[in-house]
Formats: sequence, structure tokens, C-alpha cells
Amino acid sequence: MSTDPNQALKRRRLNKAGSQNGTLESQPSFLEDLNELEQFSQATKLDDPKLLWDRPSIDALDPAKDTLIFQQIEADEYTNHQNNTPVIRFFGVTEGGSSVICHVTGFLPYFYVPAPPGFKLENIPLFKQALETGMERANSIVKIEWKLKESIYGYHGGEKSPFLKITFKEPKNIAAAKRAVERGLSFGNFKDYAPQTFESNIAFLLRFMIDCNVKGANWIELPAGQYSLRHDRNSNAQINVEVSYDKMISHEPEGEWSKIAPLRIMSFDIECAGRKGIFPEAKVDPVIQIATMVTIQGESAPFIRNVMVLNTCAHIVGTHTMSFEREEDLLKTWSEFVRRVDPDVVIGYNTSNFDFPYLLDRARHLNVHDFAFLGRLNDIRTEAKDTKFSSKAYGTRENKAINMEGRLQLDMLQVMQRDYKLRSYTLNAVCAEFLGEQKEDVHHSIITELQNGNEETRRRLAIYCLKDAYLPQRLMDKLMCLINYIEMARVTGVPFNYLLARGQQIKVVSQLYRKAIEKDFVIPAVNTQGMDEQYEGATVIEPRRGYYDVPIATLDFASLYPSIMMAHNLCYTTLLTREMIQKCNLVKDVDYVITPNNDSFVTAEKRKGLLPIILEDLLSARKRAKTDLKKETDPFKRAVLDGRQLALKISANSVYGFTGATVGKLPCLQISSSVTAYGRVMIERTKQEVELRYTVENGYTHTAEVIYGDTDSVMVKFGVKTLEEAMELGKEAAEFVTTKFVKPIKLEFEKVYFPYLLINKKRYAGLYWTNPKKYDKMDTKGIETVRRDNCRLVQSVIDTCLRKILIDRDVVGAQEYTKQIIADLLQNKIDMAQLVITKALSKTDYANKQAHVELAERMRVRDAGSAPALGDRVAYVIIKGSKGTAAYDKSEDPLYVLENNIPIDTKYYLDNQLSKPLLRIFEPILGEKAESLLSGDHTRTIQVSTPSIGGLMRFAVKTLTCLGCKTPLKKGESAVCAQCKDRAPELYQRHLNVVNALEVRYARLWTQCQRCQGSLHQDVLCTSKDCPIFYMRKKVQKEIQDSTATLDRFVDW
Amino acid sequence: MLEARLQTAALLKKILEAVKELITDANFDCSDNGIALQAMDNSHVALVAMLLRQEGFEPYRCDRTLALGVNLVSLSKVLRSAGNEDIVTLKADSSNDTLSLTFENPDNDRISEYELKLMDIDSEHLGIPDTTYDAVVSMSSAEFARICRDLQVLSDSVQIDVTKEGIKFAAKGELGNGAVTLKQAANVDKEDESTVIELNRNCSLNFSLKYLNNFTKATPLSSRVTLSMSSEVPLLVEYKMETGYIRYYLAPKIGDDV
Repeated sequence: MSTDPNQALKRRRLNKAGSQNGTLESQPSFLEDLNELEQFSQATKLDDPKLLWDRPSIDALDPAKDTLIFQQIEADEYTNHQNNTPVIRFFGVTEGGSSVICHVTGFLPYFYVPAPPGFKLENIPLFKQALETGMERANSIVKIEWKLKESIYGYHGGEKSPFLKITFKEPKNIAAAKRAVERGLSFGNFKDYAPQTFESNIAFLLRFMIDCNVKGANWIELPAGQYSLRHDRNSNAQINVEVSYDKMISHEPEGEWSKIAPLRIMSFDIECAGRKGIFPEAKVDPVIQIATMVTIQGESAPFIRNVMVLNTCAHIVGTHTMSFEREEDLLKTWSEFVRRVDPDVVIGYNTSNFDFPYLLDRARHLNVHDFAFLGRLNDIRTEAKDTKFSSKAYGTRENKAINMEGRLQLDMLQVMQRDYKLRSYTLNAVCAEFLGEQKEDVHHSIITELQNGNEETRRRLAIYCLKDAYLPQRLMDKLMCLINYIEMARVTGVPFNYLLARGQQIKVVSQLYRKAIEKDFVIPAVNTQGMDEQYEGATVIEPRRGYYDVPIATLDFASLYPSIMMAHNLCYTTLLTREMIQKCNLVKDVDYVITPNNDSFVTAEKRKGLLPIILEDLLSARKRAKTDLKKETDPFKRAVLDGRQLALKISANSVYGFTGATVGKLPCLQISSSVTAYGRVMIERTKQEVELRYTVENGYTHTAEVIYGDTDSVMVKFGVKTLEEAMELGKEAAEFVTTKFVKPIKLEFEKVYFPYLLINKKRYAGLYWTNPKKYDKMDTKGIETVRRDNCRLVQSVIDTCLRKILIDRDVVGAQEYTKQIIADLLQNKIDMAQLVITKALSKTDYANKQAHVELAERMRVRDAGSAPALGDRVAYVIIKGSKGTAAYDKSEDPLYVLENNIPIDTKYYLDNQLSKPLLRIFEPILGEKAESLLSGDHTRTIQVSTPSIGGLMRFAVKTLTCLGCKTPLKKGESAVCAQCKDRAPELYQRHLNVVNALEVRYARLWTQCQRCQGSLHQDVLCTSKDCPIFYMRKKVQKEIQDSTATLDRFVDW
Repeated sequence: MLEARLQTAALLKKILEAVKELITDANFDCSDNGIALQAMDNSHVALVAMLLRQEGFEPYRCDRTLALGVNLVSLSKVLRSAGNEDIVTLKADSSNDTLSLTFENPDNDRISEYELKLMDIDSEHLGIPDTTYDAVVSMSSAEFARICRDLQVLSDSVQIDVTKEGIKFAAKGELGNGAVTLKQAANVDKEDESTVIELNRNCSLNFSLKYLNNFTKATPLSSRVTLSMSSEVPLLVEYKMETGYIRYYLAPKIGDDV
């Protein structure tokens, strides 16, 4: 060989460094980030970074002259024990960034009961006595008033009836009184009076917020002279005030009052030194590092960045590093730090279920007594309590609830699990998804080693820890979680912490109560039992499957369900019974309408429903927000507006669901099933109208055809060839059909799919055009690109195929690509990361055996420490097994497979993972020929790897085969057989190229990992199972070994 | 260039039956010696080694070594169209990626020709080195097949004990236990049914019955089978044919692992 291979390698490295190949694009290292942050802020330039901790001091407040305005972020209630009255306590921040605790007094709990027929004002004292006896609590009722109200449930001819409003001393009296009333009361001439109670099942705090028009996270104004200062020894807040509930002013979060106070957001992460093979336990394993970042809402970078380290730690740029000899001091200092920084929002990743409980347990174990006071009140301990949250939409989750008075908590893991459907919820996977970067993942067994090393290794760990503390903050900023949640709280009027702790219903309840108060309605407290009553859902027009190479116009009903409710005046307050129709002599189609579901509702002329009013408010508010959004240029205000319009949309859509929730606060199936019934009729009607009008007979060039329709949209093939024509006709048709329906139902022309691949119900793909010049995106529904329960390979193959077919219009290219991938798969050339399937291990006793459960069990036997625990997502690949082995027994840990070179069951991936989705997209295009994609010449080259484990492998000996023709070699031959001798130079060259290429690849992968960990002269420790680079690196490493060994066989040649 | 003519298709069919349960794709290594196949099953617990010596063919020609990658399922599908008595001619070329098969019926009035597409199989060539075994038992292949079949009802695995008196197959399972013992006897009348034991040392080993049952698919190839055993060494099950052999190796079960 003339060229020295090393030289060639170097040259290539120079050529390629930093260029080409998208997947390996360099990402900035975290250390560079930190460095930049130092430039940005003055933090570390101060002599003592601790000076930054406290909130800026303020001048003393004069209640007689100064008006106090603050944004409340959390509220709770307590009983003033001196006079046994309930007090509402707001926690908030002023615009200047000072913390406030505001005690609101004087508001009392109450509920309604309908007055019995013949009840007179003078009966009240008797009634009061009877009720107090029934409750077995004397003097618990403050007053009983006579009020004219109307029940929200059903239409009663528009007449109000007498109700008794009973006001109590304490919130806990409500439940007792409710029970007493339901048991029945006898007083005077009234025997066993047991009516349904009204508004008795709402939390006191929410009751107060509704009555005083306080919304979640809105601004409160205390006018000068109306409030008094307090000096509470138990408070950490800068300003402590008290006000009567009727003296405070609550501002609608509109216009000027939609701003957000400069909240202090603290993001943190802890590391603990576990023992090998055991998940850290607070009783044994010490907390070794806590990294914290504090950011002010609205600013782009954290102004406090510090890390507290047990033992020494080398300096980290841009970071305040604190070393401690004793763990007790570390914990104590951190707790003090939290109190001094006084954050309004505490975020992190899995902090509720891991970091906080661990810290609390550890502090208790080490007898660090002051640690647990992390809230704004220094007489209340922070504790971890088990909670269970069950919701139809989110499933059942067991969590720990951490109380920290006055601080909002946003565990980003919970936010992710609630709002996004992902393959994996590790911080790493989530960051890869939303921030587009991988992070170093240090296995917890290595953490202890790093801690026990020197100050450099601890610095290494500290950087890792800092990054984990910083990422939740970046994630939150990127996804606008805080702003979106605040806007949701404002729109629906519930306290901020309800959004994470409670389900969808409470949001509708809050809005319903607010509207009911305005219109003098009262809401019955129904005791619902879970009914299994099912009603018919939306309709789907049978799809005409196929590949359409002409523009397909899509007509959508805008906000379908809300607009149906508005158009037909569907509400609790308009619901009619047969008796009521007769009693009031109502006329069909004038005074009331019958829905396609055979329920009757009065018309809007007779009485406008409450729900339609709520919906109108929501939708018009959304329209306003959207118009403002268009005008607004300030990025921060834009974010708020965008969050608001989203919250409004979600709220409008959840009203329908609320009426259909059988285990709900106020279910009304007549409403929800009428809504879906109208929806079904409308879709059918749209189809008819379109197909009737757009025909050749009516002078159009083609006869239109509705090829598919689902819930709120129909797809129309007008038959025209160009986008312009299709859009023109689409707009016209939308306007035309809209005229056939009651306002505000509106059919909108939104987009054209061209080309369009209709696979089945709820499964289609197409190129999405809203203007004839450039397509917007590729849109897919129900196709494997979005599902989570298959491997990445399926996703990427399907995605690429669709791109080729739809965007490049290159069906042949798509076929070629598919064949190439299948060939690569059979030859083991596909990256393992592409083949990994993940599934959550949600319980151990599945009825049927499942691959991930079986694997978890086998891994536990192998090494209990690294085995997946309940709730983890288990990653596995399918390996070859003997004939008839069940698939669940063929699952294996990807790392174990890599290490032992176990052959992957490529046939399984082809037959069980790829074939169906591929056939689904190719069949409409190729017809029967599609099958040839899965068998054919490209499937005839396979590679079978030889594992290093397995029953017979201990005994087997390898016979070398000729590198040219694969026949077994005879003695004395090392690389090629006698016949292939003349091809030897060529073969050598080929293998040399392979080794060179692999080495270059490995070097680049390694550099990539070094960048990610932020240091170019340290070993890479990361073992992130979510990172494709990691698998590539491992695989290439293995391949280099193998191919170098092959190359060595040429030695005597 | 390979050209090999086999007097009866039945032999090829039987061989295929004997290996296709264990292996899906394999290289047929053709050399001037004959045609050989050596491959491990998917789970790497068993290995099959087959050899058909060139004397078995008439004529046989192979001027250079060739590895023919064959999907055994496809091959056995093609072979189904051959009559048992047909004469088979195999032809392959190093430049071509097909295997051609010609079937002629005994009356020589019907000739069918098939071409099978070959595969490029990249796998390591593995073998089990020859050793001296502690016990070598030669017995009736039909008897062996029957024992394996019967015991499978009881358990997944069988314990084989060899002493100079005889060979004992025992299975323990949920249903109950069972054992079959064959005594060493040189039955002159029925040589095919006798059990002959060559013993250096007593041995006792455990094996998977599922695999043994797969091996007995080779029973039609030979009336005799030889089991060769030593402790902690794979079992060798050999079926000798007139012009070749088929050998199976099976790793012993140790403790609970499969």
C-alpha cells in the first residue's frame, strides 16, 4: 500500500470536521452557555454572590396614603381562632417585585335551599332552629335570607321561585348542614322537608373568588385607607396586610391588567450518591449536590446560578460554587437560601415525586430541624403527602403533594405528562424533543464514583447537575408553560394550583357559577353516581380510499360543538320537559325546537341559555385576543395573548364535555347527545348540499364528490386540476353551505390537500396548502408517524416515504428508498436506536405476558439496580429466537444486545413492524404490486451476526471463510481462498476503506458526545438510552473491533 | 460451476425436512468433496452439520468452491413439485445468483426445470471441534424418535444417563415422571434394533426435548442413530447416510438456563 492509512485518516478528518451530516450537527456546550450567562449578568462579579439572594428592599408602606396593588398567585383559607371566622389569605407580588401576604376577612360561606310551598318569612327562626338541631351545632348559622332565584336545571316558564340563602360561620358547617337538610327537617307545619340543596358542593375558596370576581392570578388593588398593616411573626413576606372582602378591588385580567408581575422562578436539581444496584434511599444515601437557578419572569437568563457541593469542587465559570464539609450544613444552607430568595414559582423535573420528598426525608434523618420550612410561612412545615388523581382525560396518577405556602409549583415532568404525548418522559428525551439537544446522561452508579474522586470530578458532576437545573427553566420558557397556565387560570377563574391538581370539570364549574350569579340562577348540588350510559358520538362518512393526484378541498365547521350549542340554544336553562311544554302552552318551532335526538329546548327568543352566553363570551374574547395578537409587536405580550386565545379555545371546547361527563358535577346527557346528533346531521347535510350543487348539469366543469368526512370536516373532490380553482370552489362552497345552517354555525374553507392519500377512517396524509403558491406542511393523521408503540424506524420510513410521495411526487423514489431500508435492515445496517421499542411498565401483573414486562423481570434477575422500575418506560429490541418462541420472550435490553452481539430478529421488524404501515400507504398507489416491496431481490442479502453468548457458543469454533466468495477456508489460508487470490488487493482496499470510514465516524461521534458533556479532554461517561448517538457510538465501536480483526487477516498476505 | 445429479429426489427432500425446522437460511458450501451445510439455529443452542459426499452424485462436477445461499423454505416449496423417484440435477454458477433444479421422472418422459433465486448470506462459519466422548450409544433411530416424542408430554427436558448396562431417558414434569431404559444387547437377529454402548465413563446429562424432537426429523434418513456424550460438552446426534451424514450438536442444559 502506498498511502499510510493514518495519514489518509487525518486528511479526511480535516475535510469533514464540522461540516455535513445533519444528525451530527454540533450543539453548543453547556459550559459555553454558562460563560455567556456570566457575560450577561453581573452576578459573579460581586464579591459576595449571596447579596443577590434577597428581594430588593422597599420603603415602608403607609396604608393611609399608599394604594397597594399586587398580582395574587396563590390563595388559601384558614380560621382565625380568636373569633372563629374564616380568612382568605392571598400570596402575591407587586409590580416592583415585593412579596405580599394579604388576609381577607369578613367573607362567609353559604348555600341555598328552595323554600317549601307555603313557607313564609316568619317561619325562618323555626327553620333555623330545626337546621341547627339537625346539624348538632348550635349557633353555627349566621343568617337566613329569603331570595328569589331560579334553578339552572330546566326551563320553568321563566319564573323565579323563593329560595333560602343560609349563611354559616365556618366553611366546615356547610357539609354538616347539607347532610342535615338531605336527611329531612321538620319544623312548624312542615314535616320531613328534605329538598335538594343548591351550591353546597363548591369549595369555600372558589366560592369566595367567584363572589368577589377574583380570577386565578389576577391583580388585586387595596385602595389607600381601606386596609391595615400586619406584623406577623410567622411571615416571610415583605408586605403583610389585612382587608375586608368588600373593600378590595379585583381587576379583570384585561388590557393593562393582563401583565404579569416579575415573579421569581427557582429551578433546581439534586444529586445523591447511591450504592451500586440500589435506587437511592434517603435513610442511607447522602445528598451530595444541589444546583439552583433563579430567573425573574420576563428575563431571558437566570440571575442566580449556584451549586452547593459536598466536599471541594473546582471553580465553574459563571457559577457560585459553595463547598460544604458536612451534609447537614449543605441542607441547612439550601433551605436558608430558598427562604432568602423567596421564589414565587418553584420548578424542576420530577421534583414533586423525587427531589422534594428525598430532601425532606434526608433532612429529617439527619435532624436538620429548620430545613422543612420552605414556604412563605415559617410556622408551617413543608411535607410530602400521597395523593391520587383520577381523570378520564389524564388517567390515574399517584403523586406526592408538597405543600409550600405561597409558592407555586410546576413540576415540568407532570406538565409534560399532562400536556404532551411522548415516547419517553426522561428529561433527556423531552429536551431532545423540544429544545433539539441531547444531554449527557450519567448513570446513577457513576455519580458516586465522580463524587468520591477529586475536585475536578466533582466539578464535572456539578456541571451536570447545573444543566439539569437549567433545563426545566428553558423547557418552561420554550413551551410558555407558566404564561399559558396563568392565562388558563385567568380565563377560567380557578386558582393556579387547580390546573395541575384538578381535572377539566372544575374549570367549567367556575365559569358556570360566575355566569349563574350574574343571571340570578342557582345551581343544584347533584349527587352523581357513575352511570354507564353511552350516547352516540360523531359521524364518519365512509372514506373512498385511494391516492388522489388532484386537489382535495377541506371544509371545516369552525368550533363545531360550541357553535351548535349557541345556534340551537342548548343549555341547562333551556331544557324542556313534556309537562312544561303543556303547562306553558309552548308552540313547536316557535317557542321551542326538538333536536335530532328528540330532546326539546326553548328558543333563544324565549330565553337565551347560559351555556350559549358563556360560549359567546369565550369565543368573542378569543376573537379579540387574536386581533390583538396580530397587532401586538412586543414578544412577551404576544406570548400572553397567544396563551390566552389557546386557553379560551380549550375552555370553549370543554363545555360540551362537561355536560356529557356522567360522573360530573352537573351532567346533562340531553345536551351532549343533542350536540353530537346535530353534528351528525350537519355533516350529512353538507355532503348532500355539495354533491347536489356542484355537478356538470349545473354548469360546473366536473361533478364534485365528497370522499371523506369526520366529526367537523368534509373532504371534497371538485374534480378540478389546479389549486387556484379548488380554492375558489372551496370558498364558494363553504359560504354556500353556511347559508343552510343556523347562525353562528359556519363552514369554513381552510385548506386544500394536494396530493392526498386517503388510507382509511381517521388515517390519511396529504400536502397542506392554504395559498396556491407554497404548501404549508405535510399533514398526517393516524399514521405511524405519530404513534408511540412502535420503533423509530417505522416512523422515519413512513415519514420519508410520505415526503417523497407527497412533496417530491416521486413514487419510484419512495419505493427505492423503502427497498434500500429493508435491505439495510436485513443486513443489520440499521442503527439499533431505530429499532428500540419503548413501553411504560405501568403494573406488574398484566393478564397476558408482554414483552416489556418479561424483559423487566429478566433484567431484575441480571442486575436489580439498573432494571426498570414501575412507571419507567422500558426500552427493548426483538432478538432472534428458535422457531415458535413467543414474541414476548424475544425482547431484550438494547445495551445487552449491543454488548453481546445478539442477532436482531430482522424478520420480525419487517413482518410485524414495517409491513403493515408500508402496505397501507403503498396499496392505494400501487395496488397489488405493493407486496413486491416486501419480498424481492433486495431481501436476498442478509447478515446474521454471531453472538458472544448462547448455549452452544461456548463450544463453537469459528472457521474462517473466504472474504471473496464466503467458502470455508482451508488450513494455511487466512484471508482469501485459492481461487480468490487475485482479488486480494481489491478486497484489502475495500476492507481498509471500511475501517477508515468507521474510525472517522467513531471519532466524530465521540467528539459529539464530548461536546454534549462540555469537555473535550475527559472520558465520555454518558449512557443515555434515549440518545441515538449513544447507540451509534457503541455500535461503531463494536464494528471497528470486528473489521480491524478482519483486516488483520491480511497480515501474511 | 456446479453440476450434481442425484438419483432420487427423496434423499434431498428428507435432508431438507431434517434441517428446515432449525434453520431458515443457510449457505450450501460446494467443493470438490461434495455439498456441505453447517449452521446454527437462531437461538444458538443447536448446530447442524450436513455432508453429501461427491460419491453420492452421478455425475458430480465442481471446479471451484461455491457458497450457495438458500432460503430453505423456498427450496422445500420447489422440491414439493418433484416426485420421490425423480432424478434431480442441481446446477449453479459462480457468476449467476440462481440455483437451477431439473427433475426427470423415472420413465424419462417428463422433465421439469426450476430456478431458485439465491441469497447473499453473511454469517460466520461455526463448527464444534471433534473430541473423544465418554459415551457413544448407537441405537435404532425410530426408537429414539419414539422416546423423545413420548417424553415430551411430560417435560421440556430429558435427563440421559448412560451406564454399561444401558441408556436411560428420564423426564420429570407437572403431570408426573417417566423414564425409558434401553438395555445394551447385541441382538444378532435384529441388528437394526439393538442398542450398542461404548463407554469410557458413566455420564448423566440434561437436554432440551424440543430440540431433540427437531433432530428426529432426520429419522427417515437412517435406521440407526448415534448419540455421543461427555459431561459439559455438547451432545452429538449423528444420522449416517450411505454417502454422507447429518450431525446435530446440542448444548447441555445446566441448572435452569435454556
